[in-house]
Amino acid sequence: MAALPRRIIKETQRLMQEPVPGISAVPSENNARYFHVIVTGPEDSPFEGGLFKLELFLPEDYPMSAPKVRFITKIYHPNIDRLGRICLDILKDKWSPALQIRTVLLSIQALLSAPNPDDPLANDVAELWKVNESEAIRNAKEWTRRYAMDN
Amino acid sequence: MEQFESLLTCCVCLDRYRNPKLLPCQHSFCMEPCMDGLVDYVRRQVKCPECRAEHRIPYQGVQGFPTNVTLQRFLELHAQIAGELPDPTAGQVMERCNVCSEKAYCAPCAHCDKKVCEDCKSAHMEVLRREIARINNQIRRGVNRLQDILAVVERNTANLQTNCGAVAGEVDEIHKRLAKALKDRTDFLRNEVDRYLATELRNLTHLKDNLELELSNIQSNCDLADKYMNDDVEWEDTELVDTKEIFLKTVEFLRNFDYEAGDYNRRIRFVMTHDPNQLVMHVASYGELNITHSNAYSTGLQQSQGLTRSKSDHRLASQFRQQEEAKGYTENDEPILGGRKFGERRPPPPEKHTRDYGVTDDYSGYESEHRPSRRFRSRFVRSHQTDNDSDTETSTRAVKAEQKEKEKEKVTDTEDATRGPLSGIFRLSDCPRVMQRILDVDSGKKKEKKEPPPPPKPVQPTPQPRSRPPPPARQQSEDDEISRLKRQNKGAASSQEPDRTPQRPVEEERSSISHKPPTPAREASSDGESDESVGSLQRNQRKNTAPTPKPTAVRRPSASDTSSVHRPAARAPSTESSASTESSGSAVKHTGAILSIAELKAKYSNDGLPPKPTTRFLSAGNERPTPVTTNGTTGGAQRVQSRFIGSQRPTPAPAPAEPAHEDSDTSSEEETDSSEESEEEPAPQRKPESQAMARSDIGPLLARSNNARNDANDNKNKDTPTQSRYRTRQTSQTEEEPAPRYGASGSSYSRYGSKPKDDEMTSSLDDDSKYPTARSRYLALKERRNRLARSKSSHTGFGAGDDDDQDEPVSPTTASPSAYLAARYGSGTGGSELSRSRSSHALKSRESSPERPVTGEKDGAALSSWARYLKNKYGSRGKDRDSGSTSSSASRRLSLGLPLRSANELASSDDDSKNAAGSPISPTAATAAVAGFAAAGSSPRSQYLQKRRLQFSVGSRGSEPGYFTWPRGIAVGPDNIMVVADSSNHRVQVFDSNGIFVKEFGQYGSGEGEFDCLAGVAVNRIGQYIIADRYNHRIQVFDPAGRFLRSFGSQGTGDGKFNYPWGITTDALGFIYVCDKENHRVQVFQSDGTFVGKFGSFGSKLGQLEHPHYIAVSSTNRVLVSDSNNHRIQVFDVNGRVLSSFGEEGSEDGQFKFPRGVAVDDQGYIVVADSGNNRIQIFHPDGTFLRAFGSWGSGDGEFKGLEGIAVMSGGNIIVCDRENHRVQVF
Repeated sequence: MAALPRRIIKETQRLMQEPVPGISAVPSENNARYFHVIVTGPEDSPFEGGLFKLELFLPEDYPMSAPKVRFITKIYHPNIDRLGRICLDILKDKWSPALQIRTVLLSIQALLSAPNPDDPLANDVAELWKVNESEAIRNAKEWTRRYAMDN
Repeated sequence: MEQFESLLTCCVCLDRYRNPKLLPCQHSFCMEPCMDGLVDYVRRQVKCPECRAEHRIPYQGVQGFPTNVTLQRFLELHAQIAGELPDPTAGQVMERCNVCSEKAYCAPCAHCDKKVCEDCKSAHMEVLRREIARINNQIRRGVNRLQDILAVVERNTANLQTNCGAVAGEVDEIHKRLAKALKDRTDFLRNEVDRYLATELRNLTHLKDNLELELSNIQSNCDLADKYMNDDVEWEDTELVDTKEIFLKTVEFLRNFDYEAGDYNRRIRFVMTHDPNQLVMHVASYGELNITHSNAYSTGLQQSQGLTRSKSDHRLASQFRQQEEAKGYTENDEPILGGRKFGERRPPPPEKHTRDYGVTDDYSGYESEHRPSRRFRSRFVRSHQTDNDSDTETSTRAVKAEQKEKEKEKVTDTEDATRGPLSGIFRLSDCPRVMQRILDVDSGKKKEKKEPPPPPKPVQPTPQPRSRPPPPARQQSEDDEISRLKRQNKGAASSQEPDRTPQRPVEEERSSISHKPPTPAREASSDGESDESVGSLQRNQRKNTAPTPKPTAVRRPSASDTSSVHRPAARAPSTESSASTESSGSAVKHTGAILSIAELKAKYSNDGLPPKPTTRFLSAGNERPTPVTTNGTTGGAQRVQSRFIGSQRPTPAPAPAEPAHEDSDTSSEEETDSSEESEEEPAPQRKPESQAMARSDIGPLLARSNNARNDANDNKNKDTPTQSRYRTRQTSQTEEEPAPRYGASGSSYSRYGSKPKDDEMTSSLDDDSKYPTARSRYLALKERRNRLARSKSSHTGFGAGDDDDQDEPVSPTTASPSAYLAARYGSGTGGSELSRSRSSHALKSRESSPERPVTGEKDGAALSSWARYLKNKYGSRGKDRDSGSTSSSASRRLSLGLPLRSANELASSDDDSKNAAGSPISPTAATAAVAGFAAAGSSPRSQYLQKRRLQFSVGSRGSEPGYFTWPRGIAVGPDNIMVVADSSNHRVQVFDSNGIFVKEFGQYGSGEGEFDCLAGVAVNRIGQYIIADRYNHRIQVFDPAGRFLRSFGSQGTGDGKFNYPWGITTDALGFIYVCDKENHRVQVFQSDGTFVGKFGSFGSKLGQLEHPHYIAVSSTNRVLVSDSNNHRIQVFDVNGRVLSSFGEEGSEDGQFKFPRGVAVDDQGYIVVADSGNNRIQIFHPDGTFLRAFGSWGSGDGEFKGLEGIAVMSGGNIIVCDRENHRVQVF
């Protein structure tokens, strides 16, 4: 039962006090390193209007290593696979201790606005996105409506 | 400003910069832990979190980066402007935590006395909290004791009052009588005087009248004669003659009249029959008040003593004892908390810490209130690992608490106000710190998640109000404060009232009892309430109570009330098998409130028992009589045997089917082995076999010791003579032995001193019955006895008995009666109950003389039937005696073997008991018996069948030489020395075969030659002592002189590591077998400590073990393990293969409840200390039941918690009777 590092406490406090618009991150009641995250789909993106649930976990050596983030809500996105795993460099090798939960979540939100089919995780989606972007976007909207709304 | 703020914030830790280091990319980060964490040690570079630039780390590490001085200035400036407190960790350097060895800001932890990081510290505090909770529970349970003592005190008060009343009445009575006597006598005397005066007066007046008359007559005569007896008057001759005659008569009268002064001058004198001074003195001191400690009262005292020190976690107890020895326990004015105020930090070690750790809320936990003083610390840590025995003991916990809470010198401190006068424990709730905490918690400051652990407060209320009402002024303010708290708490409290634990009312009741004294009652009761409320506060919402209604509701506190409340619990303890310590403890305890001393004693000696056995035996106590009666009969044995046939017989059969690596030779060998053992073959025949077996027996495990083992077997064979030498030696010894014993009878009989008259009477009685012709002698003896009884000279009285005894063998009578008599004389040291009732018997026999002839007749009448009985039962055994000594021994065995009941049937128990009492005579016979057995040793079966009577017991509770505190392991060494692991005295004691103290070694500690609650002992063939040093998790070896040789092992689960090693033994080779109790296995070592092998794992299947306690190796290399929690004995071969197992849970013959000690004699008979049933069971070598004896109790032949057991070469069984703190020899 290691105590929570001050940094996590501070971050959590700040997330509560000054929430980022469009993003809510609430620590789990029984594990302060586990956050329930909801990200709104960015405007002017096929995910607009959707509420995407994510889970975020701060590993033991956070902030020296990146938090683990995963989409829980199904999403049609070339960089997010069926299991909700996210292909985002700052979550991998580009992680820096100077980044924070909020920055990570902002990055994810940004990723929704700007899918990068060239660095795909969900190959079929990326393929479609490259070949037929409009259909892909339609799919994305469809999925958003189906999975990310009215819940 | 916010910008400024963020500029001063390290982006990694999001905290104010601490020692900012500037990277070449111009970004700054705290040196620790931020920069530290960024280092890529493999590439020796650091990557800037801000710009991802990679920089090589300077040679001296991140410290080599320049400090961002500018930033630091800014920081200082900002601190000045904002008026911020300086960073508490500013001056600090990160250190390695001494526990988790992570780098962090470390602070000293009072719990482990190391510098540890916050995490570890909070973990420790959690540990402490749990500890406290546990201790608190124990205290809660233990508080009963105080209650009981309180009840006792109450009762004693009542007793005292009635007693004093009675005495006063007596005094008044005497006074009245004296006064009456005095008055009567005075009146009588005065009457006498008056009467005397009257009569004398009367006489005197009479005399006076007469004299006056005479005088006047004579006067007139004279006058007449003068006047008329001249010539003037004519007188006739006759007239003159008569006149002359008259005058002559008058002359004669006058001449003769002699006033007898004596007659009329009798003065009476008042003569005191006693010297008046003396009489006055006598009266003045016509009586004195002799203050005797009535038993109840003294046990009460003893209890309170026992409360504080006994029964408790022995480790702590011993610690405490040490401390006590060092300081003296009762000195209240010496600080418990080391002179600190409650909750204050210990004065920091002289080293460096500048920071104040006191109040920062970094320490998220409750400011742990129990700062264990240094000596307890490690104990604390350890006491997690729950040890079987360490659970019960509340009291020294309390003591510990008491140790911890210690006063300081300023009387102005609140803590002093309510300090318990007995223990020095003050009420935590009165501590300003605690109050503060509680207030904090109450006012909803959430910073402390954890509720403050319930402090060991409950101990205090009892002593405190009882004897000293606190100073009123203080009390007032306290009450205010507390009632405020109470009010705050009440809302929550009332709702939860219903589900109070049943213990609470008891406590309540107690406290109300304690508040009985009329004047301080009001005060005290409010005190109690406040106590309650504070208690509930501290316990937080968990167990809240509404204190106000309760005390009034329950305040009907009479001692009898309490006792009657508790009585049911005591009477039906067997039902509560599930409620362990508490119920059992309290059960006995509550009976304690009903005054029986025995019960009280039982209670207190009993309390330390591990919970299960206690209830066990309580329940077993009811069933007891049945098994006892069946014990001796073959029926019971038969039954058990048949059961064993089922389990045991198959052993040979599966043997061939056993895995291939066991060659058939061995298995067949095994078979012959077992059959051989069951048949009890004569020794010579078995020698080659065993040798062969030894050769074939060697498994993979011990393969390398093949030769050695052979050697050993050779040795063993050679050993037989040696052993017999022992025996012969012993016999010779014993033959000499009695002489000094008797010679020094004055001293050595002191043990038996209380009953010499009895002995003498016995002898005379027996004499009477035996030699009818010696009637006159009997009479003489009787007279002498009476005289002796008057003079109380035990010595001569004994001498008489002695004489008789010596006379005994000479008597030329037929075999059986003399055997009978000898048996009666030699009947050993008392059958258990008999000797217990000894005193009453003695009384009876002393008082009721008519009984004597009766018994005498009975004896005479019984003789024939006795003879028959003996003959029937033991065949010709009685006859084959050749010498006097053997005869007496044989007969003694006979008598020993007689089951109690039959003995009682045949002879009057009164008689029997007298013989038991007469035991001091027996040493000759007893030792001769041993010799006799050695000679006729081929049939130990019959010998064991006769086991029942205690020969003698050694020791009682204490720490002096020859005393024990929880003796555990026991072993027999060369010359039948007894080696006892005196566990809680942390030493080994050695006694000779007669129980005479020889030496001791060892003391508390973990160094070489020091012990911490040692458990098992063993003596190897060369006389080295091998000790299982239980809490040090190691084995120590000592040379025969008790000097430390070596130790091996440490705590752990690996090979050669131990977790509470318990029983230990060695085989003929010197291999050491250790019961690694908490690892549920047996480990085998060479004599030098080299690990050889292990067997057993946790479980209840065959070959698995659960808490194996003791171990023994037979001469046939069978390893017997008391698989305690599986309630069975398992038999392994030396390779750890299971050969058999016997026993299951129960209290029938052949069943066990937590068997502990196990021993095996050289014939393979197995002796088991059936701890939970408080009896000793003896089994045939094949594991079939032979007999059982013993029951719960503290009398002779009774047990309370058996531990180690061992068998002497003569067949004597020695056993450690743990809770009775003694060793008994059978």
